[in-house]
Amino acid sequence: MKIQLYILALMLSQVSLIDSTYCQNSATNSGGQIVTVQPKIMVIPYTKEGEDLRTVLENDENKRIAITKIKEGFDKRGFTTVDFVAKLKAAKDNNVFTSDNQTDIKSQIIQMSGADIYVQAEVIVEKGQSGNSVKLILTAYEASTGNSLSNKVGESGKFYTDDFNKLASKAVESCVEDFLNVMQTKFTDIVNNGKSVIIDISFSTDSKYKMSSEIGSDALPLSDQVEMWMEKNSFKNSYHIQGTTDLKMILDDVKIPLKDQATGNNYNPNKFALELFKFFKGLGLQPGKDVKGSTIYITIK
Amino acid sequence: MKNKIKINSLFILYLLVILSSCSKKSFPSAEVNFLSNKEGTICMKAIGIGLNQEDAIIDAEKNAFNVIFFRGLPQSEQKTPLIGTNETEEILKHKDYFDKFYKGKRYKTFIMSSFPTSNLVKRKGGEKNIAINVTINLVALRTDLEQNNIIRKFGY
Repeated sequence: MKIQLYILALMLSQVSLIDSTYCQNSATNSGGQIVTVQPKIMVIPYTKEGEDLRTVLENDENKRIAITKIKEGFDKRGFTTVDFVAKLKAAKDNNVFTSDNQTDIKSQIIQMSGADIYVQAEVIVEKGQSGNSVKLILTAYEASTGNSLSNKVGESGKFYTDDFNKLASKAVESCVEDFLNVMQTKFTDIVNNGKSVIIDISFSTDSKYKMSSEIGSDALPLSDQVEMWMEKNSFKNSYHIQGTTDLKMILDDVKIPLKDQATGNNYNPNKFALELFKFFKGLGLQPGKDVKGSTIYITIK
Repeated sequence: MKNKIKINSLFILYLLVILSSCSKKSFPSAEVNFLSNKEGTICMKAIGIGLNQEDAIIDAEKNAFNVIFFRGLPQSEQKTPLIGTNETEEILKHKDYFDKFYKGKRYKTFIMSSFPTSNLVKRKGGEKNIAINVTINLVALRTDLEQNNIIRKFGY
């Protein structure tokens, strides 16, 4: 009898331990309020091939003005951007740069900053006898998928002035609001139809499986099992397969919701990767998963 | 007797059909054109209809807001509608807000200037129209819509 009571007490303590593992502590309990996780946006200058991204801003005040004015546009809408210069400095301090290739440095900063979206600003100064002007090309991309979110060309108009700072400022003012409005339209589409993630499924070198391996209780090829799972689990049945070979399957645009449809909590690629991980486990496979931004890497052992 | 009832009921049905088709309102044309944009404001030329000058000006101002909310204004920085293109659904969804906004005349607080640019012109049916230049504080209007959860803040 004593032993039975002891076991019961032990079981109850285990249950309370399980409960307390995922319980929110009182210091962070918001009473059920959920704030949608916002994308991180970084404004960066356009660089030509071979140009040093690190010195481009320092040498060109027009670019600095254009970038500051664009960030001001985001601030006016109550949105905080990731500061490119601060990240650049942090990257230098942490010796993040591993290559002399400038394009690589740009990618490295984007990757290191954790920015989901980056806005690229190209400033073109035009001098002429009928006046001087500044043109601005603004483009916003999703960092992981490369999906374009907004594109605008701004113009200062021609003026008989050498004050290019003012002209750069005018060029931004001419298009930034419209640029942000288009971005917001794309955000609305993401809220309604989900955000894109890329899924890269491959095999480790010593794996005995291939995409054509017939597995599962219904003995279907692995690639078809994956597609059937995507059909059921992608948000609003929206997924696109870039290509499938015997050793690799890439889904370049799988939509996932911003919010968990059952709980209303924030949903992210990591949670989707876990579901995918469970699916592969369910098939009797040994998967490994990595998540970088919005890209999910699955490696089957 | 039965035939008489049949004829009467058919006649009533016919009358109902005629009356219902007469009560269908056509969408008013929103004669609103962009004039200029400056530092978070938008200036438009709007035409309104009413029985007198006051009514016509109110109608023109409401037209200007409706175009900003539900259509967007080409050439301006607000080319896309501030709320959405389905005005019937949006007004129903946020009935309290729009009642206060239009019937409670809250919209007046977002107008920076409004003045007639034409005389009152007579139209058919005793109505008159007028053209006005109206400047709206776009930044304050957007913030108000965000705070009242009519539109989302910038971002997701």
